[in-house]
Amino acid sequence: MDGMDYDPMAMDGDSEQPQVKISAVLQQADKTHVDFELSRTNLSFANSLRRVIQAEVPTIAIDLVEIEVNTSVLADEFIAHRLGLIPLDSKNVGDLNYSRDCDCEQYCEQCSVTLNLHAKCTSDDIMKVYASDLVTDGQHANSVGKPVINDPEGLGCLLAKLRMGQELRLTCIAKKGIAKEHAKWMPTSAVGFEYDPHNKLQHTDLWFENDTDPAKEWPKSKHAEWEDPPQEGEPFDYDAVPNRFYFEVEAAGNMEPDQIIQNGIRILQQKIGGLLKGLDPRKYGGEEEPDFDGPRSPDMNLDGSTTPWQDTGYQTAYGGGYGGGQTSYGGSQTSYGQGSQSSFGQDGQGSYGQGGGGSYGNMTAYGTTPYGQSSWQ
Amino acid sequence: MPFVDDGFEALLEPFYNGKKLTDPISTKEDKFQLLPAFLKVKGLVKQHIDSYNFFVEHEIKEIVRANRTIRSDVDSNFWLEFRDIRVLRPRRQDHADIKTRKEVSPMECRLRDMTYAAPIEVDIVYIRDKQKISRKNVPLGRMPVMLKSSRCWLSGATNAQMESMNECPLDPGGYFIINGTEKVILIQEQLSKNRVIVEADEKNNIITASCTSSTHERKSKTSVTLKKDKITLVHNVLVENIPIVIVLKAMGGLSDYEIMQLVAGSDGRYQDEFVINFDEATRVGVFTQQQALEYIGARVKMGSKRGQFGPMPRRNNIEDGLDALSNLVVAHVPIEGLDFYPKAIYLAMMTRKVLMASQNTKLVDDRDFVGNKRLELAGQLLSLLFEDHFKRFMGEVKLSIDKFLKKHNRGVALDAVQMVSNHANTIGMGINRAIQTGNWTVKRFNMNRAGVTHVLSRLSYISALGMMTRISSQFEKTRKVSGPRALQPSQWGMLCTSDTPEGEACGLVKNLALMTHITTNVEEEPVKRWVFTLDAGVEPIRNFSGAEMHREGNFMIHINGTPFALTRYPKRFAHKFRTMRRRGWISPFVSININTHFNAVHIATDEGRICRPYIIVKNGQQKLKPEHLRLLQMGRATFDDFLRKGVVEYLDVNEENDALITIYEDQITQSTTHLEIEPFTILGAVAGLIPFPHHNQSPRNTYQCAMGKQAIGAIAYNQFNRIDTLLYTLVYPQRPMVISKTIQLVHYDKLPAGQNATVVVMSYSGYDIEDALVLNKASIDRGFGRCQVFRKYATELIKLPNGKKDRMGNPDYTLEKHAILDVDGLATVGYQVKSGEVMVKKETPEDQTSTGIGLDRGSNMFRDASISYRIPDPAYIDKVMLSRTEKDSMVVKVQTRQTRRPELGDKFSSRHGQKGVVGIIVDQEDMPFADSGVTPDIIMNPHGFPSRMTVGKLLECLTGKASIVHGRPDYGFGDAFRSHPLEEMSKVLVDHGFSWEGKDYFTSGITGEPLEAYIFNGPIYYQRLKHMVQDKMHSRAHGPMAILTRQPTEGRSRDGGLRLGEMERDCLIAYGASQLLLERLMISSDGTEIDICQQCGLFGYKGYCHTCKSTREVAKMTMPYAAKLLVQELISMNVGVRLQLEDEFPHPKQV
Repeated sequence: MDGMDYDPMAMDGDSEQPQVKISAVLQQADKTHVDFELSRTNLSFANSLRRVIQAEVPTIAIDLVEIEVNTSVLADEFIAHRLGLIPLDSKNVGDLNYSRDCDCEQYCEQCSVTLNLHAKCTSDDIMKVYASDLVTDGQHANSVGKPVINDPEGLGCLLAKLRMGQELRLTCIAKKGIAKEHAKWMPTSAVGFEYDPHNKLQHTDLWFENDTDPAKEWPKSKHAEWEDPPQEGEPFDYDAVPNRFYFEVEAAGNMEPDQIIQNGIRILQQKIGGLLKGLDPRKYGGEEEPDFDGPRSPDMNLDGSTTPWQDTGYQTAYGGGYGGGQTSYGGSQTSYGQGSQSSFGQDGQGSYGQGGGGSYGNMTAYGTTPYGQSSWQ
Repeated sequence: MPFVDDGFEALLEPFYNGKKLTDPISTKEDKFQLLPAFLKVKGLVKQHIDSYNFFVEHEIKEIVRANRTIRSDVDSNFWLEFRDIRVLRPRRQDHADIKTRKEVSPMECRLRDMTYAAPIEVDIVYIRDKQKISRKNVPLGRMPVMLKSSRCWLSGATNAQMESMNECPLDPGGYFIINGTEKVILIQEQLSKNRVIVEADEKNNIITASCTSSTHERKSKTSVTLKKDKITLVHNVLVENIPIVIVLKAMGGLSDYEIMQLVAGSDGRYQDEFVINFDEATRVGVFTQQQALEYIGARVKMGSKRGQFGPMPRRNNIEDGLDALSNLVVAHVPIEGLDFYPKAIYLAMMTRKVLMASQNTKLVDDRDFVGNKRLELAGQLLSLLFEDHFKRFMGEVKLSIDKFLKKHNRGVALDAVQMVSNHANTIGMGINRAIQTGNWTVKRFNMNRAGVTHVLSRLSYISALGMMTRISSQFEKTRKVSGPRALQPSQWGMLCTSDTPEGEACGLVKNLALMTHITTNVEEEPVKRWVFTLDAGVEPIRNFSGAEMHREGNFMIHINGTPFALTRYPKRFAHKFRTMRRRGWISPFVSININTHFNAVHIATDEGRICRPYIIVKNGQQKLKPEHLRLLQMGRATFDDFLRKGVVEYLDVNEENDALITIYEDQITQSTTHLEIEPFTILGAVAGLIPFPHHNQSPRNTYQCAMGKQAIGAIAYNQFNRIDTLLYTLVYPQRPMVISKTIQLVHYDKLPAGQNATVVVMSYSGYDIEDALVLNKASIDRGFGRCQVFRKYATELIKLPNGKKDRMGNPDYTLEKHAILDVDGLATVGYQVKSGEVMVKKETPEDQTSTGIGLDRGSNMFRDASISYRIPDPAYIDKVMLSRTEKDSMVVKVQTRQTRRPELGDKFSSRHGQKGVVGIIVDQEDMPFADSGVTPDIIMNPHGFPSRMTVGKLLECLTGKASIVHGRPDYGFGDAFRSHPLEEMSKVLVDHGFSWEGKDYFTSGITGEPLEAYIFNGPIYYQRLKHMVQDKMHSRAHGPMAILTRQPTEGRSRDGGLRLGEMERDCLIAYGASQLLLERLMISSDGTEIDICQQCGLFGYKGYCHTCKSTREVAKMTMPYAAKLLVQELISMNVGVRLQLEDEFPHPKQV
């Protein structure tokens, strides 16, 4: 399995750096699931990582649907919404630009993947249309944008059912985006996060009914085995801070869990980079006025108007600096590896800055034709 | 019987807890299976359908038989007779006989704005040219057909047939389609007819026994009143109260002694109290029947003299009196051959009841007792209407025949068929109009009721169902009486204890419980015969004198309230009667009960009684055996078989009082007579949706009953084929995690209205106070609470009387508002409509009035009359329909569709009367989450619990959570009184590694720290209610003004202003913000410049006073237009108003 080719324990031995340990006991690491411990760091960092994993790791999802024929019982918006929620292969999201960063007018193969669907029921039986019936236009060399199919039959999610004579013909434009904008871009389905399973820090109140033992009433989490239970009569350590965090990342299927985490870390870095640059532009490499450059979804500003951040030529704050690996936050020193080690790696780094200078202020509002195009809403 | 898939099959098949054929059956656990079996034969709205069927199959024939002949006043040889009447199956009105397909489906009627009606046919025989002519199948107008009645095409249809007719198999039926709208005739609650009810007016010390007699001819109320020790008879046709002794004397053949015996029997107390009444008769000199009749006849209202045609021969008082006594006073007791004895017995019985009540106040009847109530259903109401219309029709036919026969030299012989068909349509049209408007006017009975019918609410499946079981009371809503509104103990099992609206109609509008059945009329005659054949100790009442009737130990047998026979062995008789009923010799809906207070046995066969099935228990053993249930399981028996075998029987409210009913099997004793089938059936269909209702504070259940009807969800399987004015559907409706048997029985699990939300009970963000909810943004993105709103825009292309027609115009694509029109002038399906855009480009001729004769030709121009979209939020065109109505004009219907995701301020509610609006929508990463990574869809503030005491909600949450972790859909029943025990649920949770309490360790999504407390969480079924911000939000800076007052218009639909009301004004006055007041009340509203003549004080015009003919003293000032209007209105009423002006700040130099 690609992306898993590093030894969980073979991080550089610097004890000051955060450390990742994948559950050896449970061997919880596969295509959709990873269970690991993050240690030697503080709570805010761990939680930030969790939040970024959930909300800001970019993936690809269908964002625009041009409906040519829809004679099914489901309304256009209904189908568009369902299409949007199909997980699409996002292992190579790095290859794509955000639509808004792209040079093109509306969308192009640089910033989108086109999927087509044409289904017509011609028999008396009810025909089921699956995600596997979506065909990518094949303009991308890799599998980016292909519907993720994990079921043994190889069908994928059910989209709609058609009766005799009903037809569905549509074109979908999948774009890159983040889950802050819409949950369809979420790479994870559930992220478990926990620390201090024995409640040694007493961050939570072990309230229990009657006189029973709280241990009886409150089942221990599985991570309790990873830590030593409190000793009998152990004095409460007032200075203790949490430093071991247990993550349980469940991927939605469009990315593998390790990639999600690594992308998450990168984005976190970029965010911090942006912040640092904003605080002291001269020191951290940006000459321009610090603009807001947090992740944005494709359809912000698609109304064609010019917003302040556009006419500066759109230079991402980390654009210049990051590409060279000269960032202030430690370059290759980070524990997550050398950048090039990860599977998604190398080219991903360059692509961020490329959109710089590109202007798309003359972009027309999407949905110029009054029907046929539905946004994901 | 053809196999009818009505959804109960599946319920009958796997037994509770998925029992197989081989599994053991216990009557205790599985007797509830009788319920789907009952509903399969009776159904939820079977009352309506039964009642309509009874009307169409029997009652209508009876009515025609009772008024079958027409005789001419002119030619005595002529007669016309109606031999038979039939209601056929629904057909198109515009059908031609050549066409093969005449049948019309309900859906076609809905879409084409037609009436779902069937032709009525009669067979007539009449005289033409002294020959008897018989004609069969003469059409007699059209009768609206109730859906799923025996006349409807849907009755007995299989699922496939239903589908081919575009009909939902789960639709309950029981309503009518009149001009395309679905109309329900609500069940009407009334005090029972032909029964004596004793009431006491404690303040004035009056005791009244009254009886509303209802026969086919008339309705009248007779009462016997005890006031100041004197007993009198009160009736509408009598101008004053008649002493009861005079009335009894007028009945003839009764001596004073006999009267005394008849009224008081041998009881000294009653005799003493009654004896004074003889003095009354003596005082006015009434001793004989003649004198009595003379006395009564003189007091009969002259207005009651009937006979519309010509002067009737003047009758004398005796005849009047005799007529009044035989036909008007207690009219339902028939007089045969001037034998007044039965009527005398009846009046004596009423008198006796008054006497008894005066001695013992406990014998006063309770008007609110459900046994004293009758429910009037569609069939009864229609038969009233039909009878009235039929009689009028007969009158009209007779009139026109007379008119024809009066002509001396008529060319052709009279053909009565012509006359009949000329007037045939009046009946159908009249009924049509009554159902459409809801105004029930029956002249004979002085009945004039409004609001009998309602448009069937299709907001959700449950709201439609709830409407079919609704009972409206005849009580005035404004009266502040608690009695009729209170929950009656006799309501148990018959009427839902929870489902009633709040506010003014509270307790007056009720709903039927799940197993309630309403009787139809059973013929009296066979029952009367049975009374004598059953028991040798029963003798006709006619044979006895008063002394014998009231002798200790003698029981009077009443049939429908009228004394009929006498027996000494009431218990033996009742027992035998019941045995015969259980064996099927007597209709199961005939009830018998013994009243020991009045020494009476009552047998009731009338219609409208509320009854309910019970399992029979005998000698401490219930009759329902496991083998019965096995037969049921195998599909070899139906509920009616059990009825015939004497396993179950129907008890009406009165008979219930004779029975000892236990709720649970283990409570059966030797004296038990009946066993309850299922206790949860005391609730109705709507209250049955609530899980654990027996753990909730009762008003919460009532609130949920009101809110369940507003929940958005699936309406019917054919919801997308319908074009309703307003239709809401949920995009992803879910079956509730915690269901009840009722939910399965009413098929709510197939047409649900809500979603199982993962709810976390904690406070979060402060945007959740006052019942506001916190929603997860990602959940909304994924489709939580997403709904579709469909709206209808319809128009008709009318043909004008002058021959001109409306037409569809061509779109002008240079206009922006025509952007979505197709070349035919109709909106294109799939296009988005924005506010102001045209959907139907209709044009009307400018010339509406010209006749086209001679030179009177109007212009040939057309005026734009297009329909445009007026709602600020855009929608999509979903459907465009073109069709032709029965009037042969074209209808155009356009349906628009909006898909809405929940937004701030939208209303949601759980099934426990806990509604709330969305207070904030939070990103998923900010939401608290469990250690497993579970994030809630909804965060609910815990302050919602303590004061509301909705423990059921907590139990729903816990049960739902247990069934989720266990993964068993058959788990988690929240039925009233038979829910899954909590301990079991907790155990399941513990087995799966959760806390038994349903609480979990939660982490804050914002800080990553664990929440200090463990948080209660789990799935709770949430309903999205129809109140949405998008339909309500409104503001205006400036906009339209009302024409009359020139003040801003009112209401959102007219883009109105927000009123600065009196109280707000008071605040501003108190604060002293005078300039703000001036601005709000005048400048921003209706300030106008007015010329006022200071000389005469009247209004001038353009600086000139018309009264003074001068411009000299005319001053200008600003005042509210409304004030100016008031002045002018007062002047128009001859109230002079003069306005005197003075300077508030006079010029210093002029002072």
